[in-house]
Amino acid sequence: MSKIDISIVIGGPQGGGIDTSSNMITRAFSYSGFPVISVREFHSNIKGRHSYVHLRVKDEKPKSFRYPVDVLVALDPDTIFEHFEDIGKGSKIIYDTEFETSDLSQARMIMRDTAQRIKNELESKKQPLNIKGVLNLMKENGGIPIGIPFSKVVTSVVSEGPATRYFNTLGASVTLSILGVDKDSTKSAIKDIFGNKEKVIEPNLKVVDSSYDYCETNGFKIRDLGKMPAKKVMLLTGNDGAAIGKIIGGLRFQTYYPITPASDESTILEEHDSIKWLEEESQNLKRGGVTVIQTEDEISAITMACGAALTGTRSSTATSGPGFSLMAEGISFAGMDEIPVVITMYQRGGPSTGLPTRNQQSDLLFALNTGHGEFPRIVMSSGDVEECIYDSIKALNYAQRYQLPVIHLIDKTLANTTEVVDSIDPDLVPIIGRVSPEKGSEIKRYSLNTENGISAMGTFGNNIFWMTGDEHDELGHVTEDSMMRDRQMEKRFRKIETARKEIPVSEMAQIIGDEKADITLVTWGSQKSLVIDILDDLSREGIRAKLLYLRMFQPFPSEFVSEVLKKSRKVISIESNMTSQAATVIRTNTGIEIKNNIVKYNGRHMTEDELLSAVKKIIEGKSEREVLRNGA
Amino acid sequence: MAHNFRTDLAIDWCPGCGDFGILTALTQALSESGTDPRNVVLASGIGCSGKTPHYVNVAGIHTLHGRAIPFAVGIKLANPNLKVLVTSGDGDMLGIGAGHFVAEGRRNVGLTVMIYDNQVYGLTKGQASPTMTLGMQTKSLSKPNIFGSINPITLALSAGYTFVARGFSFDTKQLKDIIKRAMVHEGSSVIDILQPCPTYNNVNTMEVFRKKVYKLEDDKDWDPVITNSNEEQLMEKYQQAYKKGMEWDDRIPTGIFFENRTVPSFPKRISEHSKSYLENPPALQVVSDEHGKSIVDPMKTFADRIV
Repeated sequence: MSKIDISIVIGGPQGGGIDTSSNMITRAFSYSGFPVISVREFHSNIKGRHSYVHLRVKDEKPKSFRYPVDVLVALDPDTIFEHFEDIGKGSKIIYDTEFETSDLSQARMIMRDTAQRIKNELESKKQPLNIKGVLNLMKENGGIPIGIPFSKVVTSVVSEGPATRYFNTLGASVTLSILGVDKDSTKSAIKDIFGNKEKVIEPNLKVVDSSYDYCETNGFKIRDLGKMPAKKVMLLTGNDGAAIGKIIGGLRFQTYYPITPASDESTILEEHDSIKWLEEESQNLKRGGVTVIQTEDEISAITMACGAALTGTRSSTATSGPGFSLMAEGISFAGMDEIPVVITMYQRGGPSTGLPTRNQQSDLLFALNTGHGEFPRIVMSSGDVEECIYDSIKALNYAQRYQLPVIHLIDKTLANTTEVVDSIDPDLVPIIGRVSPEKGSEIKRYSLNTENGISAMGTFGNNIFWMTGDEHDELGHVTEDSMMRDRQMEKRFRKIETARKEIPVSEMAQIIGDEKADITLVTWGSQKSLVIDILDDLSREGIRAKLLYLRMFQPFPSEFVSEVLKKSRKVISIESNMTSQAATVIRTNTGIEIKNNIVKYNGRHMTEDELLSAVKKIIEGKSEREVLRNGA
Repeated sequence: MAHNFRTDLAIDWCPGCGDFGILTALTQALSESGTDPRNVVLASGIGCSGKTPHYVNVAGIHTLHGRAIPFAVGIKLANPNLKVLVTSGDGDMLGIGAGHFVAEGRRNVGLTVMIYDNQVYGLTKGQASPTMTLGMQTKSLSKPNIFGSINPITLALSAGYTFVARGFSFDTKQLKDIIKRAMVHEGSSVIDILQPCPTYNNVNTMEVFRKKVYKLEDDKDWDPVITNSNEEQLMEKYQQAYKKGMEWDDRIPTGIFFENRTVPSFPKRISEHSKSYLENPPALQVVSDEHGKSIVDPMKTFADRIV
């Protein structure tokens, strides 16, 4: 068990430097040798509304998040109001003493329904409707408020600019100081973040000193954390991972229309479009970079990516639910015309605009069924940042190998989670190309002379051939011949059987934990690591359980899943949606109904505390279905 | 042996259809342009115009309704060495595909966009298309058209197309010359082609158009070309193009309305920040060595993420 296990929430107004604070905290812990995991929660808003980062630090790589937090850092009064439920015994609440006069009625950026809930809580506990009232409430729950005169701490050392400019550095520094992170690590983090902007670094370093001094003088420091051997690591989000994997995997053309939480991937690709090459391997090869195009809509994004793919370029697009809806006709075309294209689909809260900046896993069935007509596709999903990297390479490979649309699902929590990645080894997933015809030849693009359903793929610029969204003959011309229709349909569907044979089962589903345990937890996506933590928690309480982790839904590993579930006494599905969609996929493919389900659809990431208690409740037979509701 | 630009497929357009003239002009233009047929891609949308690629012996893609432009842009940007032409209908391009049509004006990727303009949706039995004028009633409409019409010429000018022309499908010589010139133009071009539908448009027939059309180039002083970015010249050329573009009721001009050679094409704009783009565009890059090893150094490419 981890000796160090610290949970932190740092919150403030959107656009108020929360990301910078969290980045400082993450980097400072990394310099001290402690790995951090963090996830961003924010409103669909540019400036003003409550945004926060939930972090966890351990002496071994943390995998999940939990409440209550050990430290709540409030850069505005709203943060204290919003997180009134997240405080437990010994939790420190760091805030600006100036907030003490704030009234709930003044907190106009808190959603009306949230404000009403806070009001009800305060009234029921006979507390005043202001910060003091919430702090009293927190104290009742064991919280320890630490008021700090933010302005004074800043202006005692820095005179230029408004003091508020440094509040994010102050919030991070006070947190790090209280938790006993050494000052040098904190200063290294500051230098990282502000790059070579000397003029910015200098006053920020002064604020670090001043914050550390203030905490020291007032005896706020809990302990000396000490230092572990720190090695160079990468700090990557799911968005980063997908972008990195795509570049390694040979992506050279990406399209997108701006949408949360998908467009970060494309802007990351834009920022890194000048690729750095392995000199030895690439010196005699034609190398260039990635072309990233922002399109007029998602219909254009998918069809443009398809167009590029037809020149032989590895192409993809990235989107989220609403954009994916618009892509339906393009995906159907890619299925019909056998176009190798990857759609990275970042799931967020639906239906419709839904919860545009919040987590959900409610597009699995949609991904499996998007587009009119029947056509083969691959639908895969990633569960942590490393998987985002390697799965993105695989997705490009599958698209080329089987000439079909590959839908790669990533959820919002994973997209916005920052994890420590020790290193990246591209050799883990070699690049697989497509079956190509002779150059210059006029080809039968849809040749039926193929056992595995894969025909040699001509490319524009090399071959003359035709394509159409209509049913077509081997040359690619329109046909309505009943026999040719049957043969082309059957040829296309043979590819999915070929994929099922060629792709190792371990790429589709995995057992993690005690294989012999007869309690099986089933999950997919960002809950993967969390459920691994739950397995540990359960085993500490003497409960043996294993995880059936799903990674591919088309083709689906029916036999494997069926075997595992048949041998299980208790099966619990854990998903961030309302209708247990993966459980539905399992039932469709195996006929096995999973009767116990844990779901969460409020848009916030699942946490260890709530999931553990729900799992235990079900194991003890006290409940069949649990809805999780944590998160501000 | 000269490449035969026609395939041997049976053509299923109606007898008397204006599309035949366009097909003739297009294949002649391709043949006379001397382009390697393997470097040409013809993209179309849905409708009668959408069938064109199947009849032309170059690589062809018959895409989705309204989506020919984004497919074509993807092809062109992945490999800017290719000549990419688009054949589309008025409903295809100015109705369901209008968003892409306008966006392409901003991009100026270098497509040759042909709009088969007959004011009706032929393949679905003659509904009014976006270019049918208000109050017009063709034989399959139960009531006169209650929509106003889009003017393809002035819309193309407003959207930023750098080459705007109109042809008439029964004047294949002029149309062929326009297509050839559009193919040489570096930016994106639009050719609105009057293409009478003999089955559903009994108002604007071949005979009606024949009486109304006249050629801009017959006026010796007509010069639509912009060769330098002089503000005054730009204003003058735009104004005359809009003015001619507004003519419709009695006389309909054909020929080249506007040709601006000063706007950099999208591939050139990309190459301004991606220096190797034109030399090594996405389609010509090699992504792995012969053993399938990626040639990317991820740690160096993403060095900014290392702590």
